[in-house]
Amino acid sequence: MPSTSSMHDSNWQIKTGREDKLIAGFAALAISIHLLESTLPSPLPGIKPGLANLVTLYVLIRHGWQMAANVTLLRIIAASLLLGSFLSPTFALSLAGALASLVILGLAWHIPGKPFGPVGLSILAALSHITAQIVTAYWLFIPHASLFNLLPILLTTALISGTLGGILVSRIIDRTRSLTMS
Amino acid sequence: MTNPGLQSIFTLADKILFLFCSILISYCYYFFWQSTPAAYAIIKSPHQDTYRIDLQTSQTHQVKGALGTSTIEVTQGQVRFTASACQNKLCIKSGWHQHNGAVAACLPNRVSIQLASTHSETSYDAINF
Repeated sequence: MPSTSSMHDSNWQIKTGREDKLIAGFAALAISIHLLESTLPSPLPGIKPGLANLVTLYVLIRHGWQMAANVTLLRIIAASLLLGSFLSPTFALSLAGALASLVILGLAWHIPGKPFGPVGLSILAALSHITAQIVTAYWLFIPHASLFNLLPILLTTALISGTLGGILVSRIIDRTRSLTMS
Repeated sequence: MTNPGLQSIFTLADKILFLFCSILISYCYYFFWQSTPAAYAIIKSPHQDTYRIDLQTSQTHQVKGALGTSTIEVTQGQVRFTASACQNKLCIKSGWHQHNGAVAACLPNRVSIQLASTHSETSYDAINF
């Protein structure tokens, strides 16, 4: 039988590899955490524990930067669709923070000798995340110099949450060291 | 499974980074929380185009608002309302303003003074969704 170009042709099926399944699984986990976290009250706009970013950090350390970037961008887009904030200012800030921290993580991760552990990477990611967000907020939404008065407070909370997050990821990596993902 | 101590979680680079960031953030408090003096006042009212005045020149301005006239006084880098056609005179009670970013407004009379340090103009205050 000659093959046809019908929709049921097996060529139409997307081939998924082990890596794709891992990305989907980690993204699903990150999206769940992102959604749960969005229900938490915040004392000040911009202050969040950043728990969803711990998934990014974990994936970076276990599976490399490429997969971490995939998981993070999937999470940002899917979570914003679920929360109804896709393409809104919230989404723009979220994306800016994610892109900045991914770039910084990429640079820090590829330093020869890998000097930074989970804590250092987490601190770098948290600080670049919030800095990019406030610059984006100023650039696009609130062009008022007073906005930067918030920066020291936000950086302080980012340093604390980044450090705690890094410790957490370090523990999780330690406990899942024996697991082989399949 | 034993929990590793905090000592083993932090690499040397992590410790240096933490220290460096702590110092940098401390400096941020100093840098971002010092108020810079303003150079201009931007005056807005419903009856005339928005205009800016130099704060170094002592002067008095009469601004026509929605209810009547507001008087704005400028001396030595400071600006204040001295008279306004409103009822509660909150704009006058807010006193002198000299810092960049400060705003004094008479809402009933729809006259506002915004202090700025540069020439940059933005077409909106904030965008929300």
